Amino acid sequence: MANMSFAQALNDAHKLEMERDPNIYVAGEDVGVYGGIFGVTAGLLDQFTDKRVRDTPITESAIVGTAVGAAAAGLRPVIELMFVDFIGVAFDQLYNQAAKMKYMFGGKAKLPLVMRACCGAGIGAAAQHSQCLEAWFMHVPGLKVVMPSTPYDAKGLLISSIRDDNPVVFLEHKLLYGMEGEVPEEAYTIPLGQADIKREGQDVTVVATAQMVNLSLSVAEKLSGDGISAEVVDPRTLSPLDEETILESVRKTHRLVIVHEEVKFAGSGAEIAAMVAEKAFDYLDAPIIRVAAPFTPVPFSPTLEAEFIPNEDKIIQAVKTVTGNPNVA
Amino acid sequence: MSLVGIIANPASGKDIRRLVAFGSVFGNQEKVRIVRRVLLGLVAVGVERICYMPDYFGIVERALDHIKVPATIFPANFSLKGSQEDSVRAARIMREKGATCIVTIGGDGTNRAVVKGSGAAPILPISTGTNNVFPSMVEGTIAGLAAGLIAMKRVPLDESTFLSTKLEVLVNGNVVDLALVDVVVCDDLFVGSRAVWDMDKVRQIFLNQAQPDSIGLSSIGGLIHPINAEEPLSLCLELGDGGRPVTAPVAPGIIKQVFIKGQRIMQMGDEIAVSVVPSILALDGEREVEIRPGQQVAIRLEKDGPVVVDVKQTMTAAMKNGSLLR
Amino acid sequence: MSLTNEQMIGMYANMKKIRMFEEQVAELFAAGKIPGFVHLYVGEEAVATGVCANLREDDYITSTHRGHGHLISKGGDIKLMMAELLGKKTGYCKGKGGSMHIADLDLGILGANGIVGGGPPLASGAALASQYQGKDLVTVCFFGDGAANQGTTHEAMNLATCWKLPVVFVNENNMYGISSCTLNSMCVADIADRAAAYDMPGVVVDGNDVVAVYEAASEALRQAREGEGPSLIECKTYRHKGHFEGDPCVYRNEEELQEWKAKDPVLRFEKKLLDMQVLAREKIDEIKDSIEKDLAKAVSFAEESPFPDPSEIIEDVYTP
Repeated sequence: MANMSFAQALNDAHKLEMERDPNIYVAGEDVGVYGGIFGVTAGLLDQFTDKRVRDTPITESAIVGTAVGAAAAGLRPVIELMFVDFIGVAFDQLYNQAAKMKYMFGGKAKLPLVMRACCGAGIGAAAQHSQCLEAWFMHVPGLKVVMPSTPYDAKGLLISSIRDDNPVVFLEHKLLYGMEGEVPEEAYTIPLGQADIKREGQDVTVVATAQMVNLSLSVAEKLSGDGISAEVVDPRTLSPLDEETILESVRKTHRLVIVHEEVKFAGSGAEIAAMVAEKAFDYLDAPIIRVAAPFTPVPFSPTLEAEFIPNEDKIIQAVKTVTGNPNVA
Repeated sequence: MSLVGIIANPASGKDIRRLVAFGSVFGNQEKVRIVRRVLLGLVAVGVERICYMPDYFGIVERALDHIKVPATIFPANFSLKGSQEDSVRAARIMREKGATCIVTIGGDGTNRAVVKGSGAAPILPISTGTNNVFPSMVEGTIAGLAAGLIAMKRVPLDESTFLSTKLEVLVNGNVVDLALVDVVVCDDLFVGSRAVWDMDKVRQIFLNQAQPDSIGLSSIGGLIHPINAEEPLSLCLELGDGGRPVTAPVAPGIIKQVFIKGQRIMQMGDEIAVSVVPSILALDGEREVEIRPGQQVAIRLEKDGPVVVDVKQTMTAAMKNGSLLR
Repeated sequence: MSLTNEQMIGMYANMKKIRMFEEQVAELFAAGKIPGFVHLYVGEEAVATGVCANLREDDYITSTHRGHGHLISKGGDIKLMMAELLGKKTGYCKGKGGSMHIADLDLGILGANGIVGGGPPLASGAALASQYQGKDLVTVCFFGDGAANQGTTHEAMNLATCWKLPVVFVNENNMYGISSCTLNSMCVADIADRAAAYDMPGVVVDGNDVVAVYEAASEALRQAREGEGPSLIECKTYRHKGHFEGDPCVYRNEEELQEWKAKDPVLRFEKKLLDMQVLAREKIDEIKDSIEKDLAKAVSFAEESPFPDPSEIIEDVYTP
């Protein structure tokens, strides 16, 4: 075990996998000499040369599209989209080409490719560099969507994503890059589609993703002093979604709060809420509540951005509402 | 009133020589800019009527977009085919309307087509194509001034122009085509992508002009026995193994050793048979005529080629007679 | 680089096969046996034929919505194609793709593509894979005049030249993107002009002359294969049919169509081969008969094949 930041854990995953498989290449804007805008690919260029660590022009369609073509022709690209917000200019190559090839071609194609991208607000990067767009990707059959919340998960999930034979969208919340934690030095995998119960509890299930997992854990700790036992579930992979772990938790706690940084309307929480309503309605003792961003672009000014991002107070308020616990007034 | 014709070929400068050789790339936007300069030159010396070849790109119309030209400008009226036939028809219409000078913007191939229709009207060829021998690299403004001076008869024609000879292609005794620079006999079955770059297929070359400093197959002759366009002579070369070696720039960026087995000077009216049948004849750089099995084919040197404007001589004449000293 | 008689006859037979396949498809479509849309390649046969005659089985191509000709030329099986067009389980894509998505990765066919401009980035990617793995394979990117205005095409060309990828961009300029004439959709008349912006060779060839296409492709592919980088070949051609079967073609006139039909690439090459005594009339009939038989087999195979079972709907979304 070593103490690593989230960014170092991701870097380590790249390094170990590239040492293992010569067909893996990394490409993206500023991933080489610069080492990635958040340092995730630092040092890879020196170790693996510019054949395998490719600085690209600012050309998202071509970064994604060449990865799709290269994957179809036998390579295993790991590409970095500097900010997930940039997917708009390249989306066709991902959702119409990569995601559908296997199905359209009657099962023949294999598309082992990972598109990493940072997401999320909190650094004043405003409307075009701060979004969480996981619902967009979840909506596309053929894609897998991964969203880790800890350095340990980040490394294990990235290694699994690289070894997966499907196109995987790997979303990294930018506030997590500096987060530290214990991470094994060797390669290990965390299966895609397996949620993790980050904290066990009895009274309420809080399903949260990325940075919201950490907020929810802090809230759970605070609420425990008030006699509320919250179970925090991190899906880690949004597609495929580990429905069973969530359902099992809800069957136990009978209450569900979903926390994510995306806008609430048609966000990933809507799918989770609907799924629970369909499959575990009888177990619910309270309406499901979603804590999420308002339906606005991500604002710039610190006061507005702070208002945009779900915070501990809002999560506490939601938990209080579903538990109806007077002790938490 | 004087009339000047403008024939700008939208298709020149784009053929396979950019791939098989290192030919220059000549986009239509540049042709538009050249035409703009030509137009301004023409009106500066008083040309009042200008007839142009319409084309699918609209070179002349686009040239007019950004300038004011105090002259009557109109298209030669015919239905476009998008082929070299357009240049022939445009030139014919210009001649019929009495053009006293036709400015061409294109390569050897373009001029070959124009000459089929231009008759005795002097032509001023501006080069855009690749292996160009016939047209010269001349600045558009100067070309416009020179064409205007010729058209307005402000300089003596005999000082400013020359009469080029031409090569005629005879198939079974009938003239089927002509060339201004060269006729190349290729051991090939197809016109295909038109250009000639594979020297292994070239068997025989007829040269109406050959300069040691020109580019293309005519340079081979130029390095052995130079001939000017107006000289009443042509050169016929037989290529093949065992001949005398010549290192020549056969295409842009392509310098090759070829072997000359035989050479003959052709006098005016001389006719020499094409030695390979079936074959393809490339005229002025483009594979053009298919020779089928059993056909009798010969090349003849003829005198009544185009009247060509020599820009330098024209401007010198203008200097001498003070045409522009006002 | 002289073409042998065998190569010439092979190219003729391929063009004829595309023509007859498409005519058969038109008939089946009119009879209501083909769901959805079909975009036929009639009139453009010389392009795919002349280019693919230079390709090896393991080279790659990316295709377009008008892809049948590319697939046939790259060795696609017309039985499997026909079954796919009819939506049958035995088709290339088990009935899940249809005309616009036929692919055969074993033959290097990275798929027809329903998105105009969808293919070029994929082509550069496949070329990257070949370069990366040190294989002397090339990728041909077929794209239309419509795709020439898509950003993806330009991004793919830019990256291909930056990285000197072994890809050849083959533009099929049939003058129309559905109803929009190229003269109104771009301020250059020749798409090849745009190659200069990427510092690659760009040439215009007569796309209705299979030998012209062959010659250009031969040189471009040689350069790509030898690591000299990409190039762009613009083939001027015309679709005899509408954009799709059933297109009333209100945007173009009969005179134009007749002019292009007079330059029909299949008839033109047939006449040439007859004139040059490369091919005898009897041999032509023989080729035609043989294609007819294969087509009849393909049609009956397709018609007799079962439709996919509804339960198959969720299969093939993910690789396990």
